[in-house]
Amino acid sequence: MPYDIVVLIKQIPDLELIKVNQSTEEPITDGVPFKFENLSKNSVEAAVRIKEKNGGKITAVLFGNEKGTQVMKEAYAMGVDEGILITGYSENNPVLTAKVLAQKIKQLHYDLVILGNQSADSMSGMVAGLVATELNLPLLSNAVSIEVADKIVKVSTATEKDVIKSETTMPAVISVTQETNEPRFPPVLQIIKAGKKSISTEQSTVKIENTSKIISKKAPKSERKRLIFEDVDKGAQEVAKVLKEAMK
Amino acid sequence: MKFLIFSDIEDSAKQVMSFLKGKGDFVLYTTEKGESLTKYGAQKIVLLTGKPEVKGISSLLSDEFSSGGYDLVMIASTVLGRDVASLFSGQKSIEVIPEIFDIKFNSGTVTTKRYGLGGKAVIEEESKSKLFTFLSGLSDDVPGDGSSPIETKNIPEGVVKILAIEQKKAKEVNLEKANIIVAVGRGLGKIEGIQQIEPLVKAVRGELAGSRPVCLDYHWLSEDRQVGYSGRTVKPKAYVALGISGQIQHIAGMRGSKVVVAVNKDKNAPIFQEADYGIVGDLYQIVPKIVSYL
Repeated sequence: MPYDIVVLIKQIPDLELIKVNQSTEEPITDGVPFKFENLSKNSVEAAVRIKEKNGGKITAVLFGNEKGTQVMKEAYAMGVDEGILITGYSENNPVLTAKVLAQKIKQLHYDLVILGNQSADSMSGMVAGLVATELNLPLLSNAVSIEVADKIVKVSTATEKDVIKSETTMPAVISVTQETNEPRFPPVLQIIKAGKKSISTEQSTVKIENTSKIISKKAPKSERKRLIFEDVDKGAQEVAKVLKEAMK
Repeated sequence: MKFLIFSDIEDSAKQVMSFLKGKGDFVLYTTEKGESLTKYGAQKIVLLTGKPEVKGISSLLSDEFSSGGYDLVMIASTVLGRDVASLFSGQKSIEVIPEIFDIKFNSGTVTTKRYGLGGKAVIEEESKSKLFTFLSGLSDDVPGDGSSPIETKNIPEGVVKILAIEQKKAKEVNLEKANIIVAVGRGLGKIEGIQQIEPLVKAVRGELAGSRPVCLDYHWLSEDRQVGYSGRTVKPKAYVALGISGQIQHIAGMRGSKVVVAVNKDKNAPIFQEADYGIVGDLYQIVPKIVSYL
């Protein structure tokens, strides 16, 4: 039985390339390139595996900015059939993001909505539940494995203490984790083909009242001593002293 | 002010209750049976029984929130907690401030702190939000001598059917309580390397911990020894990072340590920026040397 799947993907700034402005202590994001967020790759991989086994169509939706086309092309190369880029993303706001995505999803045909559980930049972990609420759909979250059969989806969720197995009838929202799968590296030919595929782009029109005000957004302060020893023996002596002190 | 707390993890429940002591009244909703939870001054503890289905839990909490005269909701950032919070936020149309590690209560507003850009920024914001998820490590665990009454409530069933719950292996360690933590990273190279680290752990009466790859990808150590944003948040008197490069995800979990020691082959490893004492070199040579000087 074929399943139509909507995958929600994300572009994030390459976090390792973010530098700090020494005078304002603020991280500099201007000019930092965007990349395909890791859990979004796990989400696409999960969708592609279901398609390979059962058939169906995969539509990826990305709420971001114009640079998102690059990420969408990577998603195409992995096996996404159609891509929709919604521009107008400014600050991390899970409620707004969920509303924008849900409004689009409502116009599509789908059996499953798949997304990452907690993206690497904002880490809010809120979007899956908010999208499920907007769509009034059951949520199977933090999946470490996914099985589908006869319009029923089963997942295993690893919490801090237990592994919970649960199921529901489609349509449903599923959030995936890093442990769900190992995303594929698409072959070169597919990447070239993906570059030529069109992406439908539209501007977000959803507005919400933002009730929180950012007071500051600075790099975390590190007031460490940074005494670095290249003389191993001297370093070991010093460290032993520090550890003895901490043992008291 | 009256707080509704949800935590499915004992440590986080104890931390948030310790944090809120003296700031208002609070009721803890939890799936954890621990008798020790009654010593933290909660007005009452509501033990949630039945299957831990997130929609069921969030519906129950959302009813309790409406009828119980609560002002604010604090939910532990755990796998279940984040889902419960997001569903609660959606159901009640209440904005959520996620993943906070600090909160101050002003008149009518709150000032919170959370990490942004994967830990590269601390976002301090003021809001009228009533719903928060909080990171582990919010406060020290400070039990009192009270005795909160316990009542039970059953989690309503939802459209998601829970088929089975398998307990993971029992927790081996409580890193939050350790005085000294010796943590290993990818630079250890092999699981057998742990044996060579153990003499140091013993000599300093410390606990062994690891970075995300070591615990989750290679399984050299159990998951409950993982320090980092997605693992435990620790604040020991001394933190020794061996062969850990210092990815932001790891730093977020050990930033509160009093003294940080780093050993790494690569003198440009970011961990040295976050260390008080660093030694550049092979950890297999350096660890026995440190032990010999103890």
